[in-house]
Parts: sequence; C-alpha cells; structure tokens
Amino acid sequence: MLRRTRTTKKLARRIDLQYFSRPHPFRRWRFWLSVAVPTLALGWLLTQRAQGGQRVYSSGQLSRSHAVFTQQCGLCHVTRAGTFFKEVTDQACLTCHDGPVHHSSQTFFPNCSWCHVEHKGVQRLSATSDAGCIQCHSHLRTRDGQPRYAGSINGFDRSHPEFSPLGKGKIDPGQIKLNHYLHLQPNLVGPANQRVQMTCDDCHRAVNDASVWPYGAPDQNATVERASIRPIGLGAYMAPVQFAKHCAACHSLQFDRRFGNEQVPHDRPGVIHALLAKRFAEYVAAHPAAVHEVEPPNRQLPEREHIQRVARDRAEWVQFRVEDAEWVLWAKTCKQCHVLNFGTGALPEIAKSNITPRWLFHAEFDHYAHRMMSCVACHTRTLESHDTADILLPGIAVCQQCHRKEGSSKEVAEGRCFECHQYHDWSRAKRTNGRFSIHELRGTAQLTLPQEQTPISH
Amino acid sequence: MLIDHTHRKWFIGSVAGLAVATALYIPYGLQSSQGPRGGSALGLVYGIVGFGFMLFAGLLGLRKKFPVWRVGRAQTWMRGHLWLGFVSFPLILLHGGFHFGGLLTRVLMWLFVLVFASGVLGAGLQHFMPRLQTAQLPLETIYEQIDRVRGQLGEEARNLVEEACAALDGEVSSASARQRATAAAAGANWDVTVAAGLDADEQASNELRRFLSVEVQPYLARTGARGTRMGDAALAQAMFRQLRVLFPPTLHSCIDDLENICEEKRQLDDQNRLHKILHGWLLVHIPLSYALLILGTWHAVAAVRF
Repeated sequence: MLRRTRTTKKLARRIDLQYFSRPHPFRRWRFWLSVAVPTLALGWLLTQRAQGGQRVYSSGQLSRSHAVFTQQCGLCHVTRAGTFFKEVTDQACLTCHDGPVHHSSQTFFPNCSWCHVEHKGVQRLSATSDAGCIQCHSHLRTRDGQPRYAGSINGFDRSHPEFSPLGKGKIDPGQIKLNHYLHLQPNLVGPANQRVQMTCDDCHRAVNDASVWPYGAPDQNATVERASIRPIGLGAYMAPVQFAKHCAACHSLQFDRRFGNEQVPHDRPGVIHALLAKRFAEYVAAHPAAVHEVEPPNRQLPEREHIQRVARDRAEWVQFRVEDAEWVLWAKTCKQCHVLNFGTGALPEIAKSNITPRWLFHAEFDHYAHRMMSCVACHTRTLESHDTADILLPGIAVCQQCHRKEGSSKEVAEGRCFECHQYHDWSRAKRTNGRFSIHELRGTAQLTLPQEQTPISH
Repeated sequence: MLIDHTHRKWFIGSVAGLAVATALYIPYGLQSSQGPRGGSALGLVYGIVGFGFMLFAGLLGLRKKFPVWRVGRAQTWMRGHLWLGFVSFPLILLHGGFHFGGLLTRVLMWLFVLVFASGVLGAGLQHFMPRLQTAQLPLETIYEQIDRVRGQLGEEARNLVEEACAALDGEVSSASARQRATAAAAGANWDVTVAAGLDADEQASNELRRFLSVEVQPYLARTGARGTRMGDAALAQAMFRQLRVLFPPTLHSCIDDLENICEEKRQLDDQNRLHKILHGWLLVHIPLSYALLILGTWHAVAAVRF
C-alpha cells in the first residue's frame, strides 16, 4: 500500500525559493544566444562597411549592363548638399549615356528610372513596362494639341491600330511591275532555259546577306563567297530588289540577233541609246554588205508595222537598226517591268522604281528572329498577289497570334511596346565623354564627381 | 498562451488589416509601371507598418523584464505580440513585392522567415502542450527545480530502503527517526511507514539493498533514463511486481513507495523533455528576433537614404 502522499505544503518544502535568482542553463543559453546572434549580425554589417563593399546595401541584383558597378553605388546614387537622401538622378545616368528625348511635342518627361528599373535582377533595362508608354499613349496629348498618331493605345493586343501602310485605300507606291503570283509558279523558265521553282529568298534576303543569288547576273556572284547565315548589323530588314542581283539571269536585255547574247546595260535610255549607236556603227564598219541586206520582218516588234526599210547608206542603216532595237527594248523588254513615259523627247523616261525599303518607320522588325517560319506564314497574300500595288505586309492580327500580353500560361512571344518601338529618338543622341577609370567603376578607387554630386559613403 | 475566444478581437482585426493590405496591393501590383517596390509610396507604407509591428512584438521582451511598468496588461502585450507579429510578416512580403532583394534584404527576409516560422511553431506548442502536460504529468514540478527534486527522490528512496532493512535487522527505532527527518524534507508522509512488525529475513534485506543500488539509484541519479531498466514503465512495473512476489508482504508498502518514486522520476524526465520542446523554439526565436530588429533598423535607414 502506497504510503507517500503529496500535499501542497510538502511539495512547497521541496522547492528552493531562491531558485529564480540562479540562472538555469536554459535561461543562460537563451541570454547568451540573444547577445551573440545580434552581435554577429552587427559584426557582419560592420565588417562589410570596413571592407568598403557596398553590395550589402543593394536592394537587388543589378541588370546585366550595370552589374559590373555593383560595388560602386555612388555612380548612380548621388546626394545633393543638405539632403539625407541619395537619389538616382537623370544627371547620373546621362554621365555615361545619352537618352534623347522621345518626341519634340511630348508633354510628359519621365525620369530615366521611371522606365528603366534597376535592382530587379539580370534583365534588359530596355525591356520596359508598357505602363510607361500607356501613361501618355492611352490618351495622347501633344504640345500643339493635335497628335499625328493614334490617340488611345493601351497595348499591342488592346486598341493598337492596324499598321499604317495597311490603311484603307493605301497601295504600294512601287513602279516595278512585279507579279508575285507568277514568279512563284512552278516550271518557270529560268537561266539557260532550265525549269525552276522560285522561292521567296531567291530575291528577298537581309541587307548584308552576301550569299550567292541564284538569279543574278554572273558578275554579281563571281567574287562573292558564301557568307555566314547570321546577318550582322542591318540584317533585320530585307534588301531592296535589284535587277543585277535578282532578275538578270532570267530577264535578259538582248537587243539584236547580230550580237548574240550581248545585252544592253541596265541603265538610263540615253546610255542605252549611245551604246546601241556605237555597237551598230562598229558592226556596219566590219560588215559593209549589211547595208544592202533586206531585213526580215521582226516578230519581236509588237505594235509596230512591219515595214521593210532599205538603208541608203551606213548612217541610215545604223539609224534604222538603233530604232528597231530601241523599239524592242522600250516596247517589250524594259516595259515588262518598268513604267516608261514617252514625252516630247526622242527617248522615253523611266519612272523611278520607288521600291519601299522599310514599311514601318516607327517600329523595328527583325526578320532573323522569325527565321523559323515560312515567309508566307506571315505574308499570307503573297501567293495570290498579281499586282504591284498590293501591299503584302502582314497585318497586326498576324503578329498578335504570337505577340500578346503575357497571360498565366506565359506561352506567348514578347508583346510589350519596347519589342517594336524605340522610346528615345537616337537620331538626336549626343556624344558622352566617359570620365571614369576602371578602378572607379569597379569600386576599388574613390569616385571623383562634379561638385554638385557627392559620392556616397557609409 | 491559450488561443481561445478571448483572442477574437485580435483575430478579426488582424484578418481585416491583412485583407485591406491585400486589396490595396492587387491594383498596385498590377498597374505599377515598375512592379511592386519597397521604395514606392505604398511599398513604404507596408514597410513602415510592418516594421512598426515588428518593433512592438520585440518590445515584449522589455515588457517582461519590467513587469511593474504600468504600460498595459501583460496579457494584452502577449496578444499584441502574437497577432501583430503574425501580421507583420505578410506586410513585409507586400513591402518587398514578394522579392527578397539584395544581400542585406535577403538576409533579413530569411531571418524573418525563421523568426516567423519559429513563432508560429511556438504559438502552436504553447496552445496545446500545457494542457497535455497537465493531463499527462500530474507529478510535475518547477522546471528549474527538477534536478533538486530528483536528488531528494534519491535520498528518499535510500532512506526508505534503509528504514525497511533496519527494521529487518532489528534497528527499527533508530531508522525511524532518521527516516522521519528525511521524509519530512522530501514531502512524503512517513508516519505510517515505520516498518513495525517486519519479519523478513536478512536475505530479503540484502536483496532490497541490492535492488536499490543496482536499479533504482542509478535511475534516480541522472536526468533521463538511457541505459536503465527503470526508465521503461512497463519493464519497471514488471520488476516491481516480481519483487512483491519474492519479498514478504511486510515489505510491499516499501516496494510500492519505491515504485511511486520511480514513477515520479519518470514524469520529471517527461516534463524535462516536454519543457525543452515547449521552450526550445525560444532559443531560435528570440536571438534571431533581436538580430532581425537590428538589421531591419539598418535597412530602414539605408533604404531611406538610397
């Protein structure tokens, strides 16, 4: 039978009433840890300060282009006399690079850091948020009160107008008669009477693409080595079509059977006329009997009466032959592609080709970035286009299939404004004179700033 | 601290505050051109309020150091610590736009994660464990006095056996005086334990002494029960049952008391273990909180400056 009992009085006798005045190990641990951990934290901060490193104060990783300045906060964060704050001023940005104004008639002038947000990790600073653009373009106002552009744009996939060249009633101003439909038909007669199937890149390639053109004149490709596939520099836009590079192999400029495959140059009528006169004069000098030969009817002379003319002398013979050759050229060979204006002069005037090298002047486009797609995936009307006046530029709806606002799935191409538009008008950019040394930039030397700026110190 | 219906106002206030903060954050986060930032106007508001709550939560330690200060009831301070400290974490997350930022802020945020997690764990433990202890450990004592009580239990057991054995050896009267003194100090009722009438023989006396020195005293002498058979309640119970079979009935009351002493020691061990769980999180929570407040103050100054 249990004889031990536990009364309050007996239990109280067990306790040392002064126990709380002697720290228990648990409380001792708690105390020393409460001293040691904050001390360590403070020591860490002081060590950072003593070592001069400023990275500890950074609110986030700098962008790739500024990451090298991580230890030198004072490059951007400058203080003014009498203030506690160290702001990032536009002046600090402009020390290294210019940021030209957007538009002369703009009414809102944001700070650099308003759009280019730093300390957000490795990113492109030019990849700005749409909000900065929309702030003005959602209800566009200009100094003169009459904006020339769409007055309300809230994003590429929201209220962005159709590309201006595709506006109602607009046509391609080009004066070269080109039939895309015809050129993309199978079994076209190509060079040396070979049957060919043309493709888009037989004529349309990037500006600096130096690879061989299949339908250019032989001398155009003679000295050209096949270049790197990756276009450099101006590779984003297609080079304008040129006769020598893209047409000459199929569209020959022969002028008379007596000269075999000899062709007139792709030049102005005056130059061609002089060449013809010279060549026929040389010919008759070498073949005097030709003056009295009867010329057979030339079926290549469209819209001309087939009158047999007999020359009385060499000069007249040359005149007749030049007239015949020019008739072939003006009425058929040249006319096939060019618009010829016959005015009062003896020779026609050829209308300027007026090929549009770049359709979207306020936007940037990179064909190379879209190289994984077939051309007609975007230029959808090309295969049915018979007329030069057709503008084959893809509409905004084509772009919006991929480029749109990032949704939850994120399975979209970049759809923000900066992807196509430049804010700064770089044509107005001014030169900046760098003045920092490598040590100053890397934070291993004290900064020397103008008097109005003071480097930060911790 | 028991989190019960008396916390309702704090709970509603915290949830409402958090809801308002979240409601403000959503349009701010969606429409801000630069994304949510601590340096924006709303970001600063979140930061200031959040840090204010952190400071208040940190002042609880000071309030406990000076309990006589007339600055509100300790219970109110504890509830404020609990709920404002809880709300401060999401507010600071909103302040930073859910980014941990640079080196200092990253250190701060991880410290805060640890402080917050340990705090939530501690609140949960403080809510459930005291009731568990009360139910499971009726023989618990003041934690800091466990070692002292354990020593007293050892002495009580030794005296108890000496008393019984002395009676067996015909020294009952002298043993009783000594036993009474010890028992009174240990808080046990010994008046009825005088081993009058014991008729066990010398063999039983030696066996009881051997049991005390081999099984009981090593168990009572140390904290915990590692390596001892007495630490296992079922095994100990079996051993005491066997002793009752082997020893004459006059020693059974002594064996009962020894078993009771071992049971009390077992509960003290359990109390020791539970106490470490119940308060161990403070070894993380408090030091890291102080570090957090120091670095947080530094961050606040640096952030305003830059």
